Amino acid sequence: MTTYKSLALRGVAAGGIAGVASALVQLLVTEIPIRAALAVEEARAPAGEEAGHSHGGEELVSRGAQVVGGMLGVVIVGIAVGLVFATAYALSKRWFTGSTPFSRSFAFGAAVFGAVALLPWLKYPANPPAVGDPETVNYRTALYLGVVAAGLVIVWAASWLAERLHAQSQPVRVTAVLLAVAAAVAVVLLAFPAPPDTIPADMPVNVLWQFRLSSLAQLATLYVGIGVVFGLLIDPATRKAKVAVA
Amino acid sequence: MTSPAANLSAVRVPKWAFAVSVLGLIVTYLVLQENGLALGASSGLLHEFFHDGRHALGVPCH
Repeated sequence: MTTYKSLALRGVAAGGIAGVASALVQLLVTEIPIRAALAVEEARAPAGEEAGHSHGGEELVSRGAQVVGGMLGVVIVGIAVGLVFATAYALSKRWFTGSTPFSRSFAFGAAVFGAVALLPWLKYPANPPAVGDPETVNYRTALYLGVVAAGLVIVWAASWLAERLHAQSQPVRVTAVLLAVAAAVAVVLLAFPAPPDTIPADMPVNVLWQFRLSSLAQLATLYVGIGVVFGLLIDPATRKAKVAVA
Repeated sequence: MTSPAANLSAVRVPKWAFAVSVLGLIVTYLVLQENGLALGASSGLLHEFFHDGRHALGVPCH
């Protein structure tokens, strides 16, 4: 009845819709601290000269194009992640099997958000422009991807543990899985090295945190959004309700 | 009302689904992480064009 192709197309649609929502959060919310951070960067360099990275002066891409390109990038990532999300959903055999497709998809989206966005955000909080040493970017990228991979392993292991404990009552099972996840998260946060970057003294703390919280809101919109929209698109109950209204 | 479990086990995932997923991950990598490893010189342009999105999604950037 349900084919992989139909799930994949809905994953693309869900990713596109959540990506557009996340891009709008970027335009209306995240761009505000980004502009403030770019002003800090501008103030640093002597007029007409840029150190290494081009945000002003001799630029490869204009600021306007960066704003549009950034939003486009978020939509493209949304579509790509939606596709992978749909495939993982189709492959999952034990993820809340008793629940409705909407609940499964929503919970899966929330779990993916926790693994690939919230966990790396806790360990290596997002930094606006004007923070970050270009020399360490590959090291920081490796650390970041390591935490993402660890997060996905934790989600997978949690579903495995929940299945192993199926003989237990639900309260015992949920508590055991939560404790195991909390312990695993603590180990990841302690085991990975501290962020290598120091925050420059000329970066205002409120700009830094406004940016970080905006970034987190945008990530939540993207990943939880994919879970919600995908759930809406695949749950037969959505279509039944529509028919009832008509 | 709903029979999700029955619905679910009916989904047969073809082999090309894995190719599609890998493509999705490659696209994500190019937009968010490419710093010259795969595309060399032209990665600078890609990096700058998607610049705000990289920062906003919390990916390490320059």
